[in-house]
Amino acid sequence: MSLLQVRSVTKRFGGLTAVDDVSFDVHEGAIKAVIGPNGAGKSTLFNVLTSFDRPDEGSVTFDAADIIGWPPQRIVRSGIARTFQNTQLFEEMSALENVMAGAHAVTKAGFFSAALRLPWTVREERDVAEEAGRLLRLVGLGDWADSYAADLPHGLRRLLEIARALATMPRLLLVDEPAAGLNTAETAALADALYRIRDRGVTILIVEHDMGLVMEVSDEIVVLDRGMKIAEGPPRLIQKDPAVIAAYLGEEDVDEL
Amino acid sequence: MGRARIDIRTIVPLALLAVLVFGVPLLSADRYLLKVLTFVGVNVIIVTGMALLFGYAGQVSLGHAAFYGIGAYTSAYVVTSLGWPWLAGVAAAIVLTSVGGLLLALPSLRLKGHYLAMATLGFGEIMRVVFVEARGLTGGPDGFSGIPFPSLVGISIDSAGGNYWLIWGVVTVVLAFSANLVRSRVGRAMRALHGSESGALACGIDLTGLKVRVFVISAALAGLAGALYAHVVGFISPSTFSLHVSVLLVAMAVLGGTRSLAGPVLAAILLTTIPFADAVIPGLSRSALETIQEWQEDVYGLTIIAVMIFVPGGLAGALRRISALGRRAG
Repeated sequence: MSLLQVRSVTKRFGGLTAVDDVSFDVHEGAIKAVIGPNGAGKSTLFNVLTSFDRPDEGSVTFDAADIIGWPPQRIVRSGIARTFQNTQLFEEMSALENVMAGAHAVTKAGFFSAALRLPWTVREERDVAEEAGRLLRLVGLGDWADSYAADLPHGLRRLLEIARALATMPRLLLVDEPAAGLNTAETAALADALYRIRDRGVTILIVEHDMGLVMEVSDEIVVLDRGMKIAEGPPRLIQKDPAVIAAYLGEEDVDEL
Repeated sequence: MGRARIDIRTIVPLALLAVLVFGVPLLSADRYLLKVLTFVGVNVIIVTGMALLFGYAGQVSLGHAAFYGIGAYTSAYVVTSLGWPWLAGVAAAIVLTSVGGLLLALPSLRLKGHYLAMATLGFGEIMRVVFVEARGLTGGPDGFSGIPFPSLVGISIDSAGGNYWLIWGVVTVVLAFSANLVRSRVGRAMRALHGSESGALACGIDLTGLKVRVFVISAALAGLAGALYAHVVGFISPSTFSLHVSVLLVAMAVLGGTRSLAGPVLAAILLTTIPFADAVIPGLSRSALETIQEWQEDVYGLTIIAVMIFVPGGLAGALRRISALGRRAG
């Protein structure tokens, strides 16, 4: 079943068409990757899917609802969570608090109930803390719960952002270049975390440069080049696709294909 | 039932406050000291709102003296001129400042950038003119006098000690609610949006809604403080609610530091007491006090500069370091 349908999405910035008439589907339970050379429009596509940017044309349907024009918080509530290419953590909050903040959309305590510290808000807070601890352990950050996000080693910051995104209880997780700056061991740990997340029933759409990771984890790949979709299919076919090889020619990643 | 966890960080300052609230009028019959400390309490109420707005939600208001003024004039008018009970005057002040805050914040917070600071600056100036020109309501530049003391269930609270207790009772309630708030889901969302707006959006936090709500609360607290001030002092005039006061309130919030209630509260106590130093420093000579009052602005400025240079993170930063030392020692 198709969880996310992207149809003819186009996004222009002035004279530049960052995303050009792109269509694809993401099926429930799959790990799908979006790849492409730098500037191919991958992050813009993510911004469109999460309402951080509004497309000029096209439609995005999630779980049978047209989500274009929804405010970002409504997108999150409907079940789409994201991470960022440049991590957007809350540096002066602990790792646990970062993940607890992710639970904002699925919890209720408001100004009055929180100011009065009503018993149900205390319970809710305790449940959120427990769930956040579980999610930290799921991504392998169990030992870092009390550390400030700012003190986390670079390789772990992306995992924290993934844990925070999971706290929104998403059905679809958009992960933007999670392997950037990671070493081989960290990338392997990331792949394991992605499998564990998928096995919890979360569909994953991943933008990634690391071809090794993409070829290993994804069920299907969409290739963008200069905003346009030039190929789509399972990793095996994408690796042999002449258009993909041509697009990557001259790029350092070509060796890895 | 959820275990009611007693947080030492909440209990210690509140216990100290309680001792202060109940202790001072018993220890001292000095009406001047009580009046100064009552005024300190009024400022603590406003600064608590500023701490939520600036220190937690990262927004700057240059017009909070206007809300303070609206609260004061509203309660003064409905109680003195219309004969409403005092509590109804306080309620009217809170309602009017909340609505005013909402109308001001909604359009300016929908836009990105420092529109709120600009809007509040303009609002403060408009209200200053209104306080002076709307003579029928405010008494104009001569001020509004003859405002009755607060009264509860028909009993007028007219002693210096009674007023002191009343104000600091309200301070305690306001601080307790605020302390609960900043340690909750809402406080976490405020710190999140201060840390990274994109990150907060990705958590499903409604940034505009949250900022507007915090602004409304801070405006309502200023309105509450105004209503208390008007009846405790009995006389109000436009100069009490000028831009100068708005800037002083921002200075308290900045000096106090971000992500803290205790820091801004201490800053409010410190800066409010400076021009009345003789109330808390026995034997301070008349000429010394006059010098302080004459150089009040400069003392404020130098205090803030000194704290910014020598105490990173403001008073809140200093408090955090002290409590970290305490934990290590304990």
